[in-house]
Amino acid sequence: MICLISGCGGQPEFSHSEKFQTLKPYAQIYVDQVLDNYFGSPSDMVAWDKLPLELHYGQGTVVEASGRMLTVELQAPHAEITAGTEVLWDSGILNDKDSAWILEWDEAKHQAKLESPLATNPEVGDAVILGPGQILATGRMLYAEHCQHCHGVAGDGNGPTAPYLNPRPRDYRKGIFKFTTTQSSKRASREDLSRIVEDGIPGTYMPSFKLLTEDEMTSIIEYVMWLSMRGELENQLIGLLADSYSVEAVEDRIAGGDETSDTIHQEFIDAVNDPDSFPFEVDTIVSRFTSEWVSSQEPDAEVQPLTPRTPSSDESIAKGRELYLKPSLKCAQCHGEAGLGDGSQTFAVSKDAAGQDNLTPGLYDTWGNLVKPRNLHSGIYRGGRRPIDLYSRIYAGIKGTPMPAFSSTLLRKSNPEDSGSEMTDEDIWHLVNYIYSIPFEDVKAGQGGSSIANPVKDANTASEEDSEEVAVN
Amino acid sequence: MKWFWCLFFAFWPIVAIVVCLLAPGNNWWFPGEAASPLGRRIDDLFYMILWITSITFVGTQLVLAYVLFKGASDTEPGTANEKAWFSHGSHKLEVIWSSVPAVILLFIAFYQLDVWAEYRVKDAFPRKRMEAVFERIHQDRQKNDSLALAEVTARQFEWRIRYPGFNADGTLKALMPDPQPTDLYAVNDLHLPASAPVMINLRTQDVQHSFFLPELRIKQDAVPGLVIPIWFEADQQRSYQLLCAELCGWGHYKMNARFVAESDEQFIEYLRQLEREQNEDRVDDAPDTDEEE
Repeated sequence: MICLISGCGGQPEFSHSEKFQTLKPYAQIYVDQVLDNYFGSPSDMVAWDKLPLELHYGQGTVVEASGRMLTVELQAPHAEITAGTEVLWDSGILNDKDSAWILEWDEAKHQAKLESPLATNPEVGDAVILGPGQILATGRMLYAEHCQHCHGVAGDGNGPTAPYLNPRPRDYRKGIFKFTTTQSSKRASREDLSRIVEDGIPGTYMPSFKLLTEDEMTSIIEYVMWLSMRGELENQLIGLLADSYSVEAVEDRIAGGDETSDTIHQEFIDAVNDPDSFPFEVDTIVSRFTSEWVSSQEPDAEVQPLTPRTPSSDESIAKGRELYLKPSLKCAQCHGEAGLGDGSQTFAVSKDAAGQDNLTPGLYDTWGNLVKPRNLHSGIYRGGRRPIDLYSRIYAGIKGTPMPAFSSTLLRKSNPEDSGSEMTDEDIWHLVNYIYSIPFEDVKAGQGGSSIANPVKDANTASEEDSEEVAVN
Repeated sequence: MKWFWCLFFAFWPIVAIVVCLLAPGNNWWFPGEAASPLGRRIDDLFYMILWITSITFVGTQLVLAYVLFKGASDTEPGTANEKAWFSHGSHKLEVIWSSVPAVILLFIAFYQLDVWAEYRVKDAFPRKRMEAVFERIHQDRQKNDSLALAEVTARQFEWRIRYPGFNADGTLKALMPDPQPTDLYAVNDLHLPASAPVMINLRTQDVQHSFFLPELRIKQDAVPGLVIPIWFEADQQRSYQLLCAELCGWGHYKMNARFVAESDEQFIEYLRQLEREQNEDRVDDAPDTDEEE
């Protein structure tokens, strides 16, 4: 009764993306089947081996097994293994047999005492999975507690509290995350995601979840990536099917001549059953984003400045200001000459993804939301305030937004002799220094330097100014 | 039926006595022992008020039970049916039960003045002992600089913390009312020296929040537009809960953070750590940074 009144009850379900409804019913069923097969539902998830995620507590091989004792060699790193953890036999004689359950775990020896003796002993070298899918399951619980009400069950950024938020919560299903320190062609690294979860995004509703333990953080990140992959497969599969099997496309085809509704349906069924057709396409989609995610975790996916940050000085700030105003870099077009986020582009009519004029002038992101260029005077840095964060914003852009990557524009060669080297790595640092100085400008744009260049002097003058304030404040 | 009501009203004072006796030993009132000197004094006040209200409650209930029993037995068959005493409008009684609570309330009001002043009145803050902390952590400060070591800004739904940065000579700067280029930032993780009174400035970016350190018995609303100084003193070097105690929106429950009381050296090291993280440019300071891409 309480559940009825409060609106809870019923199993949570992954919502469909907007385009799902445009498909013919049989295509909808196929999309559902594919997703259900590889990802399951929130209450019955599938940990699909093909995804590059750490979904189990640990994976390894049998070193020794007899009776109730089992020693395994685990691939490092692994999550904390507790009593009650499932041991799934992944190969060998016990493959597909009932799982064993851990009663006691000795982390030093990687030795488990099992709840009941083994009927058959596995052979040395047989693959085992400890806590299969457990990280995914923990991630889902934590996601439901902390994230779901904004980001939605399916990670579509459309949870119950989302309509009240500006900016809108991230929709993971495009696989794009804005604040990363990876190259512009790469996706987010796990460190990028966990830094955002840990520190939050100032200036938005994303709060900090500092008190999560390391294992909890891992679970949430893996779950978010899992949701993102699920959403991406859904979106791309729908995109693929919509060409020929949306309600509209089918009507067009029937109107076009010799095809009937039945032949199209039959063609669809054949394609589903032909391993070289839809199943192959699904495989291709998954392989593509899988390899993208994997390569984004590599060290060379990270933005790596060639030179250390140029120390802030009046001169560096002046150079940064000059670059900022340079017409070819177009900074001021969006952020405004004074950095107030009121550049001319914010008044220009832009086109949406379908090529139609947007109703409200201004800049739009990939998700179709109106976005404002940052007012650089606020001193709020959404993606983090470290120099590497600002460097990455300029170098690799902000993914999914009109903020472009300057990695090619700035040519990024630290060699002033090179004629093709219009700008150098130092130039990005000058820009960074200028951006750092903007909140402290007090006379006119570009005059924010003295406080940064001479912090000691500044502290003294500031304290003199404050001497009229109440003593305790 | 009348005997049921007699027993019913006699039952509650007994329950109250049992609860009052059991509560302190079982930590029913508080989340553990108070972890600060001021917290212990606040607990003492609480217990004093608990005594007063318990005695009053139990006393009035006993009187009520007595009156009920007397009335009930007076109306038993066979007794001389005595008429009840109609006391409504008795001037003498009205004076008694108005003035006795008034005296008690006045007593409480005066008795708690010291604790309140120390906690809330700026002039009564333990300024000397705070300044000793500044001395120990080498803070470079002028006479009128803020006594606060950090500025805590509540926002929906987290605590953003701003510490002063370091001077070139290694001394700690004083906290300025406005952000400085050298300031150090943290979120949901407040570190301050232990075993000494330390002060923070509390603000809010949006709605009302409340800065709540349950173990230290510190609770102060953050009010939009105000900068509110709060001081506290943690007995032990450990981590304490920091919560929001004002229902501030749908994410109110998310506003739990950590207050870590640590030694002076650890505090400075923590700020140094923040400084290092905040200046991360992902380039090793080793000289082999000139390679071309």
